[in-house]
Amino acid sequence: MSADSAIDPETVAVQPLSVDMRRLTRVGSRPSFLDYLVRLWDFRQFMFYDARARIQSGTRRDRLGSAWLLLNPVFNGLTYFLIFGLLLNTSRGIENFVGYLVVGIFVFQYSSGAITSGARSIRNNKSVVQAFNFPRAALPIGANVRELLRAVPLILAMLLIVVVLPPAEEITWLWILVIPAIMLQALFNLGVGLILARIISRVHDVTHLLPFALRAWMYGSAIFFSYDRFVTHPEVLAVIKLNPLFNVIDIVRDCVLYARVPQWQSWAILAVWALGALGVGLVYFWKGEESYGRG
Amino acid sequence: MDADDQELYIEGHPCVVVDSVEMRYRVASSAASDADAEEATPRLFRRAVRKPNMVTVHALNRLSLVVERGESVGIIGRNGSGKSTLMKIISGQSKPSKGAVFASSTPIMLGVNAALVQDLSGDQNVILGCLAMGMSRAEVDEKFNSIVELSGLEKSIHLPMKSYSSGMASRLRFAIAASVDPEILLVDEALNTGDAQFADRSKLRMDELREQAGCVFLVSHSLDTIKDMCTRVIWLDKGDLIMDGDPEAAIKAYQEFTRHLSKGNNISATRILDEAKANLVATEVRGRSSRRSRG
Repeated sequence: MSADSAIDPETVAVQPLSVDMRRLTRVGSRPSFLDYLVRLWDFRQFMFYDARARIQSGTRRDRLGSAWLLLNPVFNGLTYFLIFGLLLNTSRGIENFVGYLVVGIFVFQYSSGAITSGARSIRNNKSVVQAFNFPRAALPIGANVRELLRAVPLILAMLLIVVVLPPAEEITWLWILVIPAIMLQALFNLGVGLILARIISRVHDVTHLLPFALRAWMYGSAIFFSYDRFVTHPEVLAVIKLNPLFNVIDIVRDCVLYARVPQWQSWAILAVWALGALGVGLVYFWKGEESYGRG
Repeated sequence: MDADDQELYIEGHPCVVVDSVEMRYRVASSAASDADAEEATPRLFRRAVRKPNMVTVHALNRLSLVVERGESVGIIGRNGSGKSTLMKIISGQSKPSKGAVFASSTPIMLGVNAALVQDLSGDQNVILGCLAMGMSRAEVDEKFNSIVELSGLEKSIHLPMKSYSSGMASRLRFAIAASVDPEILLVDEALNTGDAQFADRSKLRMDELREQAGCVFLVSHSLDTIKDMCTRVIWLDKGDLIMDGDPEAAIKAYQEFTRHLSKGNNISATRILDEAKANLVATEVRGRSSRRSRG
């Protein structure tokens, strides 16, 4: 092209300059992984503020304001009760089917929401990324903190429905175990969100596929049915039960609906998934640190 | 290389070193490519999957600069000459296709393009923006009033950004960006927004910042501003470095050039350009005791 040959390198005089580079760092360079984690910690206030401010602004236009954070899932649960509990009156051989369904849907809804907003956090905040210099993982983490805060009313509504709607369940000490289960789930969501955020910042098309993948995952997580009814092959069943979201749902159902202590295997599978996803997600995201917001 | 004996030795630590930076974009052009017309595939199919005609744009050709502490560098040139591209590369907002920028601390770009979150209110954006620049919550609280005062938004600060006029939004952006005291300051036409009252206030703040900063880069279409403020001027044209040196001389040559252009004397304008280019002494950076030793 002509632009290239406009300055002919041979004809331009070149003055070499010897420069002391010791105190200089490359602009926009990626810090080491540990430094990166430390920097992220330094930006914790940013993440929490980002999460809180956006939750508040989400319902600002509504007259009932923040009450919708609780009302929304309550109505959601009532709809399922109306259809499956009263109209269809099916149980599909499951004890307390409405409770079973509500726990499944609500717990899964938290993950699908968190993974989606984590995955889109870099793309949707491109202008913030370009304007300020901060460790980019702060955005997916902020999105996940936001979703976790939003999950609190969601889980409360879920427990409320389980207690109120027939057949009502009793509150037991086992309910406390819901908290560590949701925490592990949050770590898993964050890990997956980090991986997807980097992929989507490169290939935006993946956002279109994400809802389908999540829906397939939902149908595969034993929300409307029980695995044991459909899968007769024991090995296949064992593999399917490695699904991390199924394990969260299973743990919560055991605690809340059936008042039995969740199996240690479920905890183990969930913990491995959660820590594994978080570790892989953080490293993978950190590797792409220099590329965000520049495409 | 035989130039070693005439190598210029720069004492001390420079603020910014731009090392053989080059910027190219691949963008879609709406001009139809030749291949399209000849293809025999059905038109509908072709429309659906056709890749747009991609064109390479040379935004900036190979350029090296060494800027020392205390220098303020004005960048002049016509539209599309690569001024903003160079600024974005120095600030780390975009990554050069080749080469790298080294700096003694994180450069801060002061402009009207520091984007904010539309759904949040002005005050939330102030806090979020400051946190994103790495301030602690206590520092933000300390500076909050002065930022609001500089922006001149008064009570509108509590309204969502969506409701702001473009002038109000850019005033707020400027006020947020100007709240830090950077060592390396980049200014891109920031003074041209807002009403006269805001212009005075922002100019005061700019002067303050410039006095504190170690080095300043300034892009402005106002040559008077550049003449007043800069100790060194860089003239870019179509991505090429044309002149680098004394403000008086560079501005005079540039004015001559544009005067001829506006009269339609393209040939004489080009001659001025070529003359300036012929006298140009390009820089070649040779790092010493650095990770990237060259030459």
